[in-house]
Amino acid sequence: MAKLPTPQMLVASRPAFPEQDWLDIKPEFAPGSFCYPAKKETMELLHMPNPHDWDPAAEDWNLPENWEKILCDAFAERLEKHRSLKLFMDICVRCGACADKCHFFLGTNDPKNMPVLRAELLRSLYRRDYTMLGKLLGKKVGARSWDKDVVKELFYYAYQCTECRRCSLFCPYGIDTAEITAIVRELMHEVGLGTHWIMDPVKNCSFTGNHLGIQPHSFVEIVEMLADDCETVTGIRPKTPFNEKGHEILFITPSGDVFADPGIYTFMGYLLLFHELDLDYTFSTYASEGGNFGSFTSFNMAKKLNAKMYAEAERLGAKWILGGECGHMWRVINQYMDTYNGPSPSHMITPKSPITGTVFKNAASTKMVHIAEFTADLIHHNKIKLDPSRNDHIVTTFHDSCNPARAMGLLDEPRYVLKHVCNNFVEMPENTIREQTFCCGAGSGLNTEEIMELRMRAGMPRGNALRYVQQKFGVNHMACVCAIDRATLPPLADYWAPGVTVSGLHELVGNALVMKGEAKRTMDLRQEDLPNVVDDEPEGEE
Amino acid sequence: MLSLEIFRAHKKEVVAAWVEAVFATYPFETTGFLRTKQDPFGNPVAHMTREAASTLFDAVAGEDMHPPTVKNALDRFIKLRAVQKFLPSQSLAVIHAMKPILREQVLPKMQDVGQLAAYLEAESRLDSLALLAFDMYCEARETVAEARIKEIRNQHAQLARWAQRLEDGGKAE
Repeated sequence: MAKLPTPQMLVASRPAFPEQDWLDIKPEFAPGSFCYPAKKETMELLHMPNPHDWDPAAEDWNLPENWEKILCDAFAERLEKHRSLKLFMDICVRCGACADKCHFFLGTNDPKNMPVLRAELLRSLYRRDYTMLGKLLGKKVGARSWDKDVVKELFYYAYQCTECRRCSLFCPYGIDTAEITAIVRELMHEVGLGTHWIMDPVKNCSFTGNHLGIQPHSFVEIVEMLADDCETVTGIRPKTPFNEKGHEILFITPSGDVFADPGIYTFMGYLLLFHELDLDYTFSTYASEGGNFGSFTSFNMAKKLNAKMYAEAERLGAKWILGGECGHMWRVINQYMDTYNGPSPSHMITPKSPITGTVFKNAASTKMVHIAEFTADLIHHNKIKLDPSRNDHIVTTFHDSCNPARAMGLLDEPRYVLKHVCNNFVEMPENTIREQTFCCGAGSGLNTEEIMELRMRAGMPRGNALRYVQQKFGVNHMACVCAIDRATLPPLADYWAPGVTVSGLHELVGNALVMKGEAKRTMDLRQEDLPNVVDDEPEGEE
Repeated sequence: MLSLEIFRAHKKEVVAAWVEAVFATYPFETTGFLRTKQDPFGNPVAHMTREAASTLFDAVAGEDMHPPTVKNALDRFIKLRAVQKFLPSQSLAVIHAMKPILREQVLPKMQDVGQLAAYLEAESRLDSLALLAFDMYCEARETVAEARIKEIRNQHAQLARWAQRLEDGGKAE
């Protein structure tokens, strides 16, 4: 008689003590845990090395013939170029402080998602070629050789890191695992391995300016549609200046906010705010994407896409740049822009708010100011009229987007703004916010739908904290300052804390903003009825 | 209520053993961390497993539990397992993993005092809970599938509206 397995046999996942060393256990490329590969044509158009067709689930990845030499040389070159990389390879003492700080580790329970071990995947290769002990003793001291499975493994785990840098916050040596991930991704690109979700936007940004590759005239029309929507809600149609020369400010924000729901409402918030201030500014269709998917690809690609910002500021004669709510755009600006494309064009000045006169000395070098700083300064100087009661139907919390929080220290400004536009604000638990914020689980080019399952487990620590404040304090909204967050947090909230909505900070500003000559607001920017205005309507006036 | 008392007396050991059984479904290198750190946000998996364990046991033992309370306590745990790299059977078999533990810890005591029928009832309750978990698991998987569709739609929401407008010949909406 055939024997059916018992439930215990079904779960039996592992022996009491593993037969293999952790480094020898190879990842399984199950659907839902890897991103689709970049198209060969895309890679060719971008002049990426060794473009080819391949499938992550296949046994053979069609690597170029001399793949090992390519990788070894590329690694050597990067060790030479980035002193930090060499340092990160050498100084880790494997104390484990970072081990349990990664949201991927917490959600997947895969030991190779401990930042220390993820880095060890590369470090083991480093050891073989660059350390005396590794050369002599090999495997005994954790050194290993390249083989095709190692390449697969590097690819697998480099795309299970969102470069959020939470781990580096806890590293006593300050090792930035995100930079190690970035280097591994660069190495993968050397042998033609990239993901579609990253390379397609890179191509579009390279050729057309925005991540979807929408032609400039259409881009403008779509923004005008949003201005029409603003008029429907407020009775005022904000101006939409594009590619105009001679304005003081160039405004750059991620193009996701022009195309994607709910980012568009944040964009409407910008339009209304700038109109109300009568700000002397322009958009650009060429630099219409602030987000930099190149930074998920390689140093050079990030540099290339970033260059558009200064190029446009120069062409249009803008004195400084105001930047919208974005995540990695700000990391690139704050940490790399100077090195990539600095110094800024000579006609640019240290940003000074034309409304309050505040000089943003923190932006003296890059000439770029974050909109949360700009708006917080307006509120601080009492320059805009706000009616936070319009947001009374929400109890909001704030998700610190990884890059603004950890890469530029933007912690209090968004909170300051949020507290002035909303009456009900609740913080999530201390070890899940500010510098210690948990990633949405899908940053750094992982916000693609084919890995939704992976995103749900990687975003679990964030979802878990959100669920906690939802159940304990009745939180029904989460504000954030990142376009990727606005795209990835709604499904995460639907899964872990259903009933919580997500928006950008400036959507709430747009809702609360009392504009000169506006019609009585009966709906919010999403054109949903404002619950608290229904009663008082003797005759429609403010 | 003799049966309930016997169950209550064994809660600690059964819950601990079941939590261990769940942890054992994860890689060896991870188990130590799951066991030791207590912070609900620093070690969420252990926290949600323990929450599920306690409620699961109480429900099996025959404590007065409302289904929504049980559901809420199992919610995070089932959702987590639904998106981790397990087969559906592996995700949910952990519920049944309580059976051998009960048979080892509780059954002999119940037999000694002639409460076998009450014990079998408790096992049946565990079966019901497994079915409840199955519902929750399916719902979670459907939410993930829906999220994929919704996301594709949302990414181009404005583009679709704009295209629609062009088709309508300009301004109409």
